[in-house]
Amino acid sequence: MTGWPLAEDAPDTADLAKCVHCGLCVNACPTYAITGLEVESPRGRIHLARAVAEDRIPLTEAVQGHWELCLQCRACEAVCPSGVPYGRIMERARAQLDAAPPSRGWERRLRRFALRNVIARRRVLAAMLAPVRWFARSPLRGLVRASGVLRLAGPLGRLEAQLGRPGRPFRPRDAAGAGDAALFTGCVMGELFGDVHRASVRVLERSGANVFAPRGQGCCGALSAHDGDLEQARRLARANIAAFEASGAETIVVNSAGCGAAMKEYGELLADDAEFAGRAEAVAAKVVDFSEYLAGRDLPPGRLPARVAYQDACHLAHAQGISAEPRALLEAVEGCELVETEGADMCCGAAGIYSLIQPGMSGELRARKAAQFRKHRPDVIVTANPGCQMQYEAAVREAGIEARVLHLAEALDEAGVVGSE
Amino acid sequence: MSAELLKALRDVVGREHVLHKPEDLLVYELDGTIDRSLPDAVVFPANTEEVQGVVRACNALDVPVTPRGAGTGLSGGAVPTRQGVVLATARMRRILDVDPIERTATVEPGVANIRLSEIAAEHGLFYAPDPSSQKACTIGGNVAENAGGPHCLALGVTTNHVIGMEVVTASGEVEWLGSHGPEPTGYDLRGLFIGSEGTLGIATKVVVRLVPVPETVVTLLAIFDDVESASETVSAVIGAGLVPAALEMMDTVTLQAAEAGLRCGYPPDAGAVLLIELDGIDEVVRGQVTQARAACNEHGATEIRTATEPAERELLWKGRKGAIGALGRIAPNYYLLDGVVPRSKLVETMGEVARIGEGYGFPVANVFHAGDGNLHPCLLFDEREEGATARVLEAGAEIMRICVDAGGALTGEHGVGFEKNRFMAWLYSEEDLENMRRVRGIFGNEGGFNPCKVLPEGTGCGEMAHQEGALAAAGPDAYV
Repeated sequence: MTGWPLAEDAPDTADLAKCVHCGLCVNACPTYAITGLEVESPRGRIHLARAVAEDRIPLTEAVQGHWELCLQCRACEAVCPSGVPYGRIMERARAQLDAAPPSRGWERRLRRFALRNVIARRRVLAAMLAPVRWFARSPLRGLVRASGVLRLAGPLGRLEAQLGRPGRPFRPRDAAGAGDAALFTGCVMGELFGDVHRASVRVLERSGANVFAPRGQGCCGALSAHDGDLEQARRLARANIAAFEASGAETIVVNSAGCGAAMKEYGELLADDAEFAGRAEAVAAKVVDFSEYLAGRDLPPGRLPARVAYQDACHLAHAQGISAEPRALLEAVEGCELVETEGADMCCGAAGIYSLIQPGMSGELRARKAAQFRKHRPDVIVTANPGCQMQYEAAVREAGIEARVLHLAEALDEAGVVGSE
Repeated sequence: MSAELLKALRDVVGREHVLHKPEDLLVYELDGTIDRSLPDAVVFPANTEEVQGVVRACNALDVPVTPRGAGTGLSGGAVPTRQGVVLATARMRRILDVDPIERTATVEPGVANIRLSEIAAEHGLFYAPDPSSQKACTIGGNVAENAGGPHCLALGVTTNHVIGMEVVTASGEVEWLGSHGPEPTGYDLRGLFIGSEGTLGIATKVVVRLVPVPETVVTLLAIFDDVESASETVSAVIGAGLVPAALEMMDTVTLQAAEAGLRCGYPPDAGAVLLIELDGIDEVVRGQVTQARAACNEHGATEIRTATEPAERELLWKGRKGAIGALGRIAPNYYLLDGVVPRSKLVETMGEVARIGEGYGFPVANVFHAGDGNLHPCLLFDEREEGATARVLEAGAEIMRICVDAGGALTGEHGVGFEKNRFMAWLYSEEDLENMRRVRGIFGNEGGFNPCKVLPEGTGCGEMAHQEGALAAAGPDAYV
């Protein structure tokens, strides 16, 4: 007997049984760190999932709330000795929420609509973001900020605080066979972080790579998967698999930690898809993070005289196990002084679209980062994921310091330029 | 739960710090082990006064109170066996003071063990007791259980590192036990409280001793074909007059799980390994390393790896500290036991443990603090199999009986808790147990404060049926 409303995408009983409730995860969990509540810990959330699976409790609004407060940062997975696939459990638990009695139903439907029809469609996304990009660079922005009107604007105000100064978009443009290392361009990343992509290309080329951005690729599907929309996530994954197969790329370089983690798990996502399972595994095996790729190459170090605080992106450090490589790349740069801040590997609260859905918890986590920035006063904050970058823009303003926020690719690119001067 | 109790609790800690919805209570039904029981409410006091208020409110309404830290305990200590109120220390996690001159820190009970060493690090100090759950477990829970850890061989357990503390007793009085100085004057009530498993009261402030980080630390990983050679090596190392900072053994089942789960470079095909850590002044350590290596070689070590860099040492320890949890990779459930035998009986006891596991059809993984004869056999099972939980408890009881019969003890560091309260009669006469109840009474506990823990209570302690079976399997006669 099971209490899951959507049986085919229910959390796997074997996955749930792996948790031996030893509790070693609780302190790694940001929401437990803030609340001190077992229900807001990985162990608690798994225990609730087990209770639903065993039909001990119905899928109540309170249970849904506890799952929705999860950042899916997967810090718990990194410390779990039993190897509980928490990320997978949580995606599947969330997939149940649509079929469950509604809790904030309209909000979820709206979110899903946006993920399916805006984020996943490049032209729509581009049209939506064009005015945002214009506003971010216009003099109007300063006036709006000074007026304080954004404080009244709720989520819009929070978005504005996170917005840096986006450059031109960077869209996939190359034909198959135009290079060996394919750059994954993504959805929001390509529209708002074109500069990061251009920096990535320059750095990769400086390391001797033959980089190209093959056409046909699109959103990786991570945002949908985290939201429990596994059907949409699979659809996007299949499109990317086909695109990268056709591109002839030997390696797929990803500079967004969340996308990289999702793409490395394409095999798992499509395990039950007879046509795609094997192909998904093959494409996933080619995916490397930007820093992982560079770690094995000969990159001229360059020069960047600055105190740099590297902040781990959760899906890089916890989901992909990559935390030494970015630091080593920065340390190799002449003049770069790495500053380790407490909680550098704890989630900043951006977590995809989390900062919009859970502004309270997201704000608490951002405040922790801001306090560390105020204490250490770095010149540059470096991370490896677009969402985190936006959150750090806001944290820097909150801390009232003059630090710049850069993607690792931008920092290394700048080091290359300064180094050659 | 009565409306009266809910109101009383909310009056003390505020509405948002009382949980009472069924789904919120569910996750507080267990800790790190097998026993389960649902509380009626969970409260989160923020300070000593609120702890006192909660305890008094519960006493006035005759409601049982069960204290809880991080819920990583391994003897059911935080399980609310008679329902009632779980008093969680999760909001009490402030560091109140760090004094590098006196080498002490004063903290609230909800502070995680690892935090102590983190905050002490900038002064070149650390907090010595290091239970394997140190990243999560709280100092309050450590005080309750008198927690140990691999590094307690040379430096001692929690009681050797807690100087004094403020407590709220079971009767709801606020008292200071111990002192701020190194030695207590008069009866050592501090010592009595530490290890009382939350049956005398709740520590609300704890003053701990911090010790200097040693100049040199060397960790050896010695690989053996079988547990016997490794055990003989343990005796030889201690016999040579060495007191390593830690001396740990893992058997082949554990090595395979740890390697699969944590990729720490352990040899998965070895019969057993010893982790030997030596620390102190550089020259002395070098001499000790030579001695320890000689002892290993003499007793059949097939390979000895030496780690001196922090990252290498951390990797070796990562496997050990995560070993128990990693068993989740090879079986859905494990039952982790905690017994002590004299070092001279190690090999014999291990043989008996293996025999019992085989008899019941449960594979056994062994991890233990070999240096002080503290065994941690883990019985691997699947709770979804009909009757498996009852049988694994029976097997556990038999193993505990073997330890007691070998002249050992019921617990090295996990506590008696709910799990082993019935077995106390193997070690103590009814008169002894009655005296212990009187001690408890002095702190105002007539049985309602963390009920059913440490001392056998008779009926009314949740699901006792499987415990009865376990007791029958091991034999009920008192060992006096």
